Amino acid sequence: MDQELIAKLARAAGLDKALAEFPDDVAVAAEQALGNKDGVAYPTDPAAEPWPPMRAGTGL
Amino acid sequence: MSELHWLTASEAVRQFAARKLSPVELLTALLARIERLDPKLHAFIRLDADSAMDAARAAEREISAGRVRGPLHGVPIGIKDIIDVAGLPTTCHSRILVDNVAAADAVVIARLRQAGAIILGKLSTHEFAIGGPSFDLPFPPARNPWNPEYHPGGSSSGSGAGVCAGLFPMALGSDTGGSVRNPASACGIVGLKPTYGLVSRRGVFPLSFTLDHVGPMTRTVADNALLLDAIAGHDPADPGSTATSARHFGRMLDRGVRDLRVGFVRHFHEIDKPAHPEVTAAVEDAARVLQAEGAEVRNVTLPSLNEFAAVNRVILCSEAWSIHAPWLRSRPGDYGQLARQRLLPGAFMTAGDYVGAQRRRLQMIAAVEELFRDFDVLLCASSMDPSSRIEDAAETSRTYPRQARTPFNVTGHPALAMMAGLSSGGLPVSVQFVGRYFDDATVLRVAAAYERGTEWHKQRPPIG
Repeated sequence: MDQELIAKLARAAGLDKALAEFPDDVAVAAEQALGNKDGVAYPTDPAAEPWPPMRAGTGL
Repeated sequence: MSELHWLTASEAVRQFAARKLSPVELLTALLARIERLDPKLHAFIRLDADSAMDAARAAEREISAGRVRGPLHGVPIGIKDIIDVAGLPTTCHSRILVDNVAAADAVVIARLRQAGAIILGKLSTHEFAIGGPSFDLPFPPARNPWNPEYHPGGSSSGSGAGVCAGLFPMALGSDTGGSVRNPASACGIVGLKPTYGLVSRRGVFPLSFTLDHVGPMTRTVADNALLLDAIAGHDPADPGSTATSARHFGRMLDRGVRDLRVGFVRHFHEIDKPAHPEVTAAVEDAARVLQAEGAEVRNVTLPSLNEFAAVNRVILCSEAWSIHAPWLRSRPGDYGQLARQRLLPGAFMTAGDYVGAQRRRLQMIAAVEELFRDFDVLLCASSMDPSSRIEDAAETSRTYPRQARTPFNVTGHPALAMMAGLSSGGLPVSVQFVGRYFDDATVLRVAAAYERGTEWHKQRPPIG
C-alpha cells in the first residue's frame, strides 16, 4: 500500500501519535488489514444477511 | 500423597469427601511447587497465596463439618489475567492497565466461588489476549513446561503452562481465535472453547465481542466437564448469553463413540495449511482410534482455513479497534509492539469490510450446520506444528497462524483441543473435536473416549 495513503488513513483515524512514534508498526498494520480484507469471499447475493442478526426483544 | 500436584480436581474432591486429603494440604503442596517452578515458567502475574490459604482453611472447616458448598469445594484454580477477580488487578498483561484493580468478580468467578473453588491468582496472557509472546511488557511471557525454551501457546499462556506443570489442576482461559485451544495444544492438556453464549463474558476484558469465549483448561476430560458445569449458565446481563437447558456436561463421558458419525475435516491439515508430518500422523491416528472404538469416520469439506482466518481477522480487528482506539491514539507507546501491530489494522478496516465479513460469516455457519445434519461431531487438527522456540520471533510468526481453531470462533460451535502425541523434539501435538451448538457434552464424550483409547494424558512434562 502507498505510504502516503497509509499516512492519510492513519491521520484520519486519529493515529498521529502512533504514526510519529511507530511508523513501521502503522505500515505493517495497514498491510495486514489489506491482506485480511482481500482474503474474504464477500457474498454477492444482495440479500445475504450478516451475523449476528438483529433480534428485537432478545439478548437483554 | 507424594505427588499431590498431579491430582486431578475430580480426584481431589473425592479425597476431600473421604477425609483422605484436606484443601490445606493440597494448597500447601501446590504453593511449594509454584515457588519452585514458577520462576522458570512465569505462569503467574499475581499469586494470591494468602487469600487462597484463607479460603482453603475455610473449605477444610466446612467440609469437615459436612457442609460442602459445591462440586469444586476446596479445589484451587488459576485465572487468566483478563478476567476480573474483585480486589485484584486485571492487567491484561499490559502497561495500559497495570493499576486496574477489579471492583467486582466476573460472573465466571462468582460461579466458581459458588462451586467452592479457591482462586489462586492471575495468570500470564498475551497482551490483551492478542499481542504475544512479548518481551517488552511489564511481565515476562509464560514458558512451556515441556521445554522452557519453547512457547506454551497463547493467548491463555499461563493457564496452559500452569495446568500442564501441575501448579494447579484447572484454569480459566479465553478464546477469540483459538486462545484456549492453542495453549492446550502446545502444553498437552485439554482445552474447551464452549458454544458461544454458554459461558458469561461479563467481567472479562473484551477483545472481540462476537468472537470471545471463556473456557475451561484442565489435564483430563472429566475435569474439563466438571469446570464447565461450574461456569456455564445464562447471564441476562451478557447480551451474547443464551438461555439453554444444556448442563451436566460430563453425563456421557462413559458412553464411548460406538455408532457416532464423525466428519473428518482432512483438507484443513492436508491442503489448506499442510501440517508437520508428526501432527498429520497424530490426527490420522486419532481418526483410527475413534474408528476402532466403533465410530463411523468420513471425510467432509468446509470453506478453506485461509478464508475462515481472514473473516476472523476482519471481524476481530474491527471490534478490537472499537475498544482500543482511544488508547492507540493517546498511548501507543504503552502497548508492546506485537499488540500494537495486531490491534492497529482495525484503523484500516471500513464499515463495509466488517459487515461484509459478518455476512460471509453467516454463510460459513450454514456450511458447518449443514455438516451437522449428517454428523455428530467433527474431527480436525488444532495446531499444524509443534510449538516454536519462544525467542524465535520469526518461527513463532510463521507457525502461529498455522492452525484450525479460528473456524469455530467464527461459527461459535464448541471445540476442544487435547494432546494426541509427542513430537520427536519432545513437544506435544494435538487434535480437535467440534460439536453442534450447545452439545458440548458430546464433544466431551468423544474426547473422553479418545482419552481412554490412548495414553497421552498420562504423559508428564520433564520439569520435575
